[in-house]
Amino acid sequence: MNSTTATLAPLFNFLEYSLTTAQTTFDKLPGSAVIQRYVKSSHQNDPGRTLLELILIIFAIRTLLQSRTRADRSGKHFIKFSDKEIDELVDEWIPEPLAQPLSTTEESDLAALPIIAGPNGSKPKLVSTGKPTTNLASFNFTGLAGNEHIKQRAIETLRKYGLGSCGPPGFYGTLDVHMDLENDIADFLGAESAILYSQGFSTISSVIPAFCKRGDIIVADRSVNFALQKGIQISRSTVRWFDHNDLNSLEEVLISVEKERKKRRGPLTRRFIVTEGIFQKDGAMVDLPKLIELKYQYKYRLILDESYSFGTVGRTGRGLTELYNVPASKVDMLLGSCATGLASAGGFCAGSRTVIDHQRINGPSFVFSASMPALLAVAASEGINIFRNTPSIFATLQENVRAARAILDRVDCITIPSHPASPIIHIHVRQQSPAFLVPPPIHSTPTPSRSHYSSILSAKDVPGRDAEYDAEERLLQEVVEEALAQGVLVTRAKRLRGQEMVEPRPSIRLALTTALTKKETEKAVNVLKTVLVKVLGKKR
Amino acid sequence: MDECFSQPVTGVAGRTILLLDRISPDYNHTQLLTGTKTRALNISSYNYLGFAQGRGGCADAVEEAIKRYGVSTLGARLEGGTSDLHMISEALVARFVGMEAALISSMGFATNSTFIPALVGKGCLVISDEFNHASIRFGVRLSGAHVRMFKHNNMENLEAILREAISQGQPKTHRPWKKILLIVEGLYSMEGTLVNLPVIMAFKKKYKFYLFVDEAHSIGALGPHGRGVADYFGIDPRSIDILMGTFTKSFGAAGGYIAGNKQLIDRLRVYGHSGPYAESMTPPVLTQVVASMASIMGVALPSLDGPSSGKSVVLAHGNGNGVGVGDEEYHHPGPAPPSALPTWLTLPPQLASGIEGLTRLRRLAFNSRYLHNGLIKLGFITYGHPASPIVPLLLFNPGKMNMFHRMMKDRQTPIVVVVVAYPATPLVTSRVRFCVSAAHTKEDVDMVLRACDEVGDVLDLKHGLRRGVRWGVDEVIEKAAELGSAGAN
Repeated sequence: MNSTTATLAPLFNFLEYSLTTAQTTFDKLPGSAVIQRYVKSSHQNDPGRTLLELILIIFAIRTLLQSRTRADRSGKHFIKFSDKEIDELVDEWIPEPLAQPLSTTEESDLAALPIIAGPNGSKPKLVSTGKPTTNLASFNFTGLAGNEHIKQRAIETLRKYGLGSCGPPGFYGTLDVHMDLENDIADFLGAESAILYSQGFSTISSVIPAFCKRGDIIVADRSVNFALQKGIQISRSTVRWFDHNDLNSLEEVLISVEKERKKRRGPLTRRFIVTEGIFQKDGAMVDLPKLIELKYQYKYRLILDESYSFGTVGRTGRGLTELYNVPASKVDMLLGSCATGLASAGGFCAGSRTVIDHQRINGPSFVFSASMPALLAVAASEGINIFRNTPSIFATLQENVRAARAILDRVDCITIPSHPASPIIHIHVRQQSPAFLVPPPIHSTPTPSRSHYSSILSAKDVPGRDAEYDAEERLLQEVVEEALAQGVLVTRAKRLRGQEMVEPRPSIRLALTTALTKKETEKAVNVLKTVLVKVLGKKR
Repeated sequence: MDECFSQPVTGVAGRTILLLDRISPDYNHTQLLTGTKTRALNISSYNYLGFAQGRGGCADAVEEAIKRYGVSTLGARLEGGTSDLHMISEALVARFVGMEAALISSMGFATNSTFIPALVGKGCLVISDEFNHASIRFGVRLSGAHVRMFKHNNMENLEAILREAISQGQPKTHRPWKKILLIVEGLYSMEGTLVNLPVIMAFKKKYKFYLFVDEAHSIGALGPHGRGVADYFGIDPRSIDILMGTFTKSFGAAGGYIAGNKQLIDRLRVYGHSGPYAESMTPPVLTQVVASMASIMGVALPSLDGPSSGKSVVLAHGNGNGVGVGDEEYHHPGPAPPSALPTWLTLPPQLASGIEGLTRLRRLAFNSRYLHNGLIKLGFITYGHPASPIVPLLLFNPGKMNMFHRMMKDRQTPIVVVVVAYPATPLVTSRVRFCVSAAHTKEDVDMVLRACDEVGDVLDLKHGLRRGVRWGVDEVIEKAAELGSAGAN
């Protein structure tokens, strides 16, 4: 016994010595006292507590060490290969070509694209023919294109500011003219504040993800334009769709969302209604007062895209809010484009100050993009001045719209889904002739009402619908080309077929303008009418 | 913090910039404009070649364009918004970058966010650098493709991911990927680093992925001819599948382009989201692009049958042959033929000869290297490649951002700087980002160095070199020529 203690004594001594050295070095470390105190107080004679702490520390270290871009190596789907096998697989792999060649029809469409020589306006010349045409295709609603005063101001701005702003708005790209235009827009609409983006399309697809996040609820019209669709997609919110321009259907959806939430006892999330003023896809117009009523009743926020109604409808071109006499402040986020009514470029969002300031930090295409060139901002500001001073342009525009509709509404072979006041007019081929109706005539309901549009989704799988649309597109393209030969420039509404959520019916889209007189408009529309009757009648 | 951002300015964002002064009565909760203005040295705008000008040949050309074309082309490209000016510019851009065809979009952000979804889709893999720009992420998210990120500029990591992705195939199903698209930037806007293009080209040959290079910052600013990273590394641009870039930076305009072979570009015209829905680029902007690009290229005189026009004939021949010439060395595509410009556009001889453009390129290269190497010698920690006009200076502590910004602005000659932190960079590597320009003189850069030297002492930022090894600011300025050419190719 004694002998063993004696033999072990040096070992004990050594242990004791090393322990004390460890103790002193530990004490010398800065902050060791804190750790000591912490361990003591957490231990409290309970090893369980210390064990828990240890597990927590290990867990924290493990989380920190895990790489963010870790591969799914541990999963059961991971197959281990040797380097040689990988090399073989790499050799074998043949990727698809980056871009499939275009089909012949797509190619001919691209080739048939009218290229304008010189300035665009109400009567542009084409590169292909060199002849002037009457333009019912370009967005020149208020006839501001080629306005000498705007040109003059743009040149002055160019001399003072140069062209590009050379920086995003956050980093010395905010010019005083941008702030002026923002104030002009807000003031013109009667909103508290406004924010300027450098492209109309990106405005829309950027505003939605700035506010709507995962878990939020978006209730949207089924045929909103592509930019809104993309915005909704990237926001990753929960989306519920209502039938196109049918506020009863909207109400049903709103009620069902509320019911669902109560049933699941889910948390109250942010909720948005997304729709358009005048729909890009068919020119229909939303009933704003009713929409606002619903929004307040069910406590939603409203995102309204007024790209095609701002600067076109209302007595002084303020858009839908003026037409229906609704204060703009009741629309939470009012989106618009400076490229349509104002004939400049860029887009804006108007709303309360909080809503706008939020976007200055969170709107992806605001923060990460250069601000728009100064001269375009000034051109838009001047456009607003012209709106204020000469509201008669909107009366002329409406007169032209009425004149065009008076002619087109009497044509048998087409249907027009657009609102009578809408300056964009979509023309569909009327679905009557048996030749094109491979599937049963789902669309044959005369009014483009609810049943028509709700059927579109379910009709997605209908065989032959693609062929049907193809045929219609060919027909309309023929109309476009024939009209151009007779000196009237119109365009098919170009779509991204296969990428849209709901495939819209092929159509010809007219954009009327103040720059043409009533007589000129009537003359051009009459030419179109004759061509329509000729081409569509022939095929029947 | 608000104080450092969204500073309103007026006038040209050139060598100097005019700030609209503002004060904050409530600790930066709101900012009020005082109505006074301060002129400051501008080392923040992306005006690499100094084409942000209200005067000069380019501005004259733009004025002429506004008179002729007005300010808008009214509508989307596919719906009656295409003008002859678009076709001319696209041809010139294609020629400039050395590709077969190009497509112009009215916004730089939208070039990525609306055309990437037309390139890839479900069943495709996108491999993306972790520091790629937000617009690329936006576009990739919209496309529905699977994404893998690799560590910034880390080629081993990239190869590991490539090997794994190709051997494993798609998750769960293990089907082979339809295609793999590697998206990198030429010059990273926050880091100032250059992509390692030679290695990537070698990988590309082995692993058969497609390569998308975003040259938002590098086009016009890098390479002996200003043609971007391909030019810098001497790589044939046609061996890259897609070159994308913006006009906001070096060209003093706005918008972006995407270039590739004709088949690809035609497809993007029809399938990209911008084609039918987004407004087309406006004539003044197009003209600025054409004029500034032509000044960098130089315009070949029709009467001169010298070697320069001979070169352009060779290129025209290459154009006729169509798709990529393979692995040939990059050769200078030569000046723009006069027929590539609108007939009404005349540039002053200084610009048209390309001498001015070349001078600017050289001055930019000198300024970049000088500032970069100067800061290092002073003892600061910087990131990035010495040839890059973006020079990030590391502050680390976010609290120093405000101080740095304020101290630079309150100097006798105010200097405006960009300070960046989270979310653009990781929280612990907050930084100041200088963007040098060909419009800066050596004295301007001297002034920036002097200012940094003083502020750096106060804020204790010099952690790059030990005290003994550092140079004094006077020594740095004296040896400018040496620093400015160090590491030049």
